Amino acid sequence: MSLWPLRYVGTLWSYSWRWQRRRISTWFVTAAVVGVVLSVAVAVQLVVWLGQRSLAGQLESASEMQVFVVDSASADQQSALQAKLTAIPGVSRVTYRSKAEAASRATHDPELAPLAGASDGNPFPASFVLQMRDPGIAPRVLSAVSGDPAVDPKIPASYTAAQAQRLSSALGTLQVIALALDLVALGVGAVVALALLRGEVRARRDELRILTLVGVPRAIIRVPLVVQVLSVALAGSALAVLSLVYMGQHVVPAIDQSLPFLRLGDPAQAFRPLAVGTLAASCATLVPCALLVRLPR
Amino acid sequence: MFVPSRAQGSPPYGGPAWDDERAEEAVGRGKIQLSDVTVGYGDGAVLENLSLDVERGDFLCVEGPSGAGKTTLLRLLYGSLLPTTGLAVVDGVDLASLRPRHVSRFRRRLGCVFQSYELLPHLTARENVLLPLQLAQMAIDEPDERADQALEMVGLGDKAGSLPAELSGGQQQRVAIARAIAHEPAILLADEPTGNLDSVCTADVMRAFRAFHHEGGTVVMATHDESLLNAYAERVIRISPRAA
Repeated sequence: MSLWPLRYVGTLWSYSWRWQRRRISTWFVTAAVVGVVLSVAVAVQLVVWLGQRSLAGQLESASEMQVFVVDSASADQQSALQAKLTAIPGVSRVTYRSKAEAASRATHDPELAPLAGASDGNPFPASFVLQMRDPGIAPRVLSAVSGDPAVDPKIPASYTAAQAQRLSSALGTLQVIALALDLVALGVGAVVALALLRGEVRARRDELRILTLVGVPRAIIRVPLVVQVLSVALAGSALAVLSLVYMGQHVVPAIDQSLPFLRLGDPAQAFRPLAVGTLAASCATLVPCALLVRLPR
Repeated sequence: MFVPSRAQGSPPYGGPAWDDERAEEAVGRGKIQLSDVTVGYGDGAVLENLSLDVERGDFLCVEGPSGAGKTTLLRLLYGSLLPTTGLAVVDGVDLASLRPRHVSRFRRRLGCVFQSYELLPHLTARENVLLPLQLAQMAIDEPDERADQALEMVGLGDKAGSLPAELSGGQQQRVAIARAIAHEPAILLADEPTGNLDSVCTADVMRAFRAFHHEGGTVVMATHDESLLNAYAERVIRISPRAA
């Protein structure tokens, strides 16, 4: 078997290394700048990720919804309604709250207590209390109970679709902000990498022209540029991951301690997806720069 | 002694054959045919209706004053310019049909030498010959031996480890010739190769060209040095500047 492919890869690799070694200080500066930009991006991403998780957790704990039952509903109708509610995907638990229990709870609620005291009878309806895994399923619940004879047609539930929508959109906004920050960071990284590559091509214009004249394929002439920008992406990502770990171990606990209501929690779970995402995004953004930069004819 | 192998119709090196032009190659290896060729930059023609036949093994000198179009002719021959009109076939390849992605492959069939040597200053003489050989000819056999043999052929076997700055102008030009012939081209194109050299260095460089030519290679050299024409050229064509 011929060994020329291996030999050729070895030649290309050693040429790429020699190419890079001659201007290693420029490489270090570029890798450091890209690393700082990616560190800022990954730090923001970590805070957003933890914030999202905290908000989602808080929403989940608050994901209680009441479906109000009309006073005239029969026992069979109530049983059918309970079965219907239990079958909805995302509903983890359904419990019945009687009128008496509702009135009793109202007396402890500062907003409802005056109403309880002013009425002769019991104005508070019985209800089924649902525990939801995700507040986003509220519209599904409302749709399921719509028209049910056991449900109060005027005020069917304690939770409206608009409220659920607002909570879901809060999460979505956070994601969009994080994505926009990532794109800005990658854009800055790409501009820095392009500046490096243009500088390299300018500094080696004669060398590239000679290689072109002696018939070296242009794709091969680009290989050192690709290797160079790939190494910048790897080094920058490594720096960003180190920042991520430092932030996770020191900064996040400090924020949690001084602002306990944020409940950011343990960031360890975020390390791997954020590290892999940073590496993949930096490579996917920077490597095309090596293909875009113009070579001498 | 390094002996370039130029069997009729065989690929010029160990790389893949150019299948779609193999038939042409069988009859055109080492030859140049220009027929009513016009070439220029932008709207202006530098060479107009030029016809020329160079046979395999010819030593052709192109003579003319500065600005006459010698370099343009050489650039046409190594595929840097395309003919505006006319037929140009170099080493069996019709330049008019040469697609941009095939230019580098076409150039690997030729050897090119330039007035300013075009050596990489941070590489030794041997590396200057070896690197393009290794990068351009993926499947070439024994590149190190070929580089050493090419340097031996131009009389620089003992200077293989020297950097260009440590060599005289003539020696640098001979390294450039070694680089141009290491991959065993059938045609060697040289644009004013002795333009920057004194008479002693010029003689050394011309000996290297002769060695290549004696092995059966075709040489096309642009020069304005009358003494070279008298001493080395088998054929001379003269190009005059176009009237404005």
